[in-house]
Formats: sequence, C-alpha cells, structure tokens
Amino acid sequence: MIRKELVAASAEPLILSLLAKGESYGYAIIQEVKARSGGKLQWTDGMLYPVLHRMERRGLIKSRWGESETGRKRKYYSLKKDGKLAMSRHHEQWLLVHGVLSGLRKEQYV
Amino acid sequence: MFDLEKSIVEWRKQMLAAGIKSPVPLEELEIHLREEIERQVRLGMSLRDAFETASGKMGRPRELKTEFKKISVPVEIRFVKLADIACGVVGLFFLLWTAYVALFIHEANWASRAFGLLAVAATILIWRHAGRFLPAIRQPKVRAAAGLAACVVGFGGTLMFIRQVLPGLFIVSAPADFSVNRLLVSFVVAWTAMAILGAIAFRLDEAAGKTESQHV
Repeated sequence: MIRKELVAASAEPLILSLLAKGESYGYAIIQEVKARSGGKLQWTDGMLYPVLHRMERRGLIKSRWGESETGRKRKYYSLKKDGKLAMSRHHEQWLLVHGVLSGLRKEQYV
Repeated sequence: MFDLEKSIVEWRKQMLAAGIKSPVPLEELEIHLREEIERQVRLGMSLRDAFETASGKMGRPRELKTEFKKISVPVEIRFVKLADIACGVVGLFFLLWTAYVALFIHEANWASRAFGLLAVAATILIWRHAGRFLPAIRQPKVRAAAGLAACVVGFGGTLMFIRQVLPGLFIVSAPADFSVNRLLVSFVVAWTAMAILGAIAFRLDEAAGKTESQHV
C-alpha cells in the first residue's frame, strides 16, 4: 500500500488528470484510481468529496447534477481552464521528482 | 431481517450529528454509499455486509466533517466577498461612465478620448489578470484583512473624489468654460487608482489559490 501522505498529495493531480479525459463523478473517479493502481492507491471514499469541493471552490473544476443510465442522481465534475493549467504544473513537478528519483536510483546500480 | 433504508437513515443521522449539515455533500455521500453497496452485492456479499463495508469505507463522520470544514468560508471572508461585490458594482458604474464620456461626449478631444479608452482597457486587464501578479497571502484572515483594507481605501477614494474633486471641477470651470476634457482626465486618474485597489480585493483569493496548486 502507498503511504497516506503520498496518497493525499497525489489526489489533486490524479483527479485533474482523470477529468481531463472527460467529465466524471465521485464514485467512478475512486474506482478508476483503484483499478489503474492495481488497488494499491486507495482513498477513504468519503474523503474524495472535500477534495472535489475544494477544487471546485478554487475554480479548477466545475460540477453539474445529472442522471445515470438507471435514473440515479449524480453530480458530475469537469475540468475548467484553470484546472488544465494546474494539471500541467502538477505534471511538470511530478515528472521532475520522478526524474530525480530515477536518476539517483540508476546511480546506485552503476 | 436487515432493512437497508433504515440503516441508511441511521447512517445519515450519524453524519448529521457529526456536523455534516449541508445537504449537497450529504446527498453526494449517500449516492456514493448506495453505489458501493450495489457493487458489493453484485460481488456476492449480503446486503448487511455490503452496507457495513461500504459505510466503513466512507470514513468516520468526524473526520469527514473536519475535511469539509476546511472548505467552508469563514464569516470575515464572506464579508469581504460582499465588499468585493460592492466594489464591483461601483467599478462597473465608473467603467461604463468613462467609456460613455470617451466615446459619445462630443466635447471631449481625441487625446482625452484615447486616454479614457486606455484607462478602460487597462482597468479590464488589471481586473482580469491581477491574480497572476499579486502576492500569495497564505493566512485567510490576513488575506481577508488586506482585501477589506483595499475595499475601504477604494470606497474612501471614491467618496473623496465625488465630494471634494468633482464639485471643484464644476465650480472652477464655470458653465461657460466647463471642460469635459478636464473632467474626463481627472475622473480617469481617480478611477484607475480605485480599479487597482478593487482588483487587489477581488484577486487575492485567486492569487493564493494558484500558488497553493503549484505546491503539491
């Protein structure tokens, strides 16, 4: 399992990146993150919503109420222009961290 | 016999008791809970176990409340938001007036018109992009105080202009040699200063938010 601090830090970039593919809702976001990480990246389900609401308040994402195919009410979230910019910044920063770590790891095995 | 609806009502009561009173998050959480219960049942779990598992995965009510509380807007910030709106209304009035004088009052000469239009353009640009250049004030209370101070100075400046400068222009420039150019230019100078203050009040939150998102 991945450490709690890393899970928390990665929440925003992951949500932004998932929403960049198209609008989605809380439950689907959690399921997709779980599937893509092979179950290693798990959020406490309810904790996703304060993050989504905070991102909405900061103007990164927007929401609308809609209905599922079965008629269930759902709140769909989608990316805003500022959200796209924030996502690019997150990608740059995470790639930088990844690059530094990879470089250091390679040096250990030389 | 396990009653799912009754259990969900009890779960809602626990959430309400913990302080999640706003209907939107509670409704969203309940929708999520129901979807997870359905998934667990499809996987072969009993309704009771599915409910226990799903409600456990939602997190403890108090922890959720703490997280939701972090995004609620404090009273002083709400007050600043109201002041922001007031600044915006006054600002819009001044902006339209300046544009009107610059474009439609025939007595204004071309230099004054250009000056007026330039001020309108500068004002729009300042209000739209100030967030990029303003410092990020991390503490919400300090940010609220700075925004409020900008609003107060802006209002004070507007009142002073209306009470002190404007009548002076009409008195000094008696009807015979009243100069629209002089009125427009002094208005624009006063207005641009106020627009900057208004932009500060409006965009401090945005500046803080953007810098936050740069820090993962």
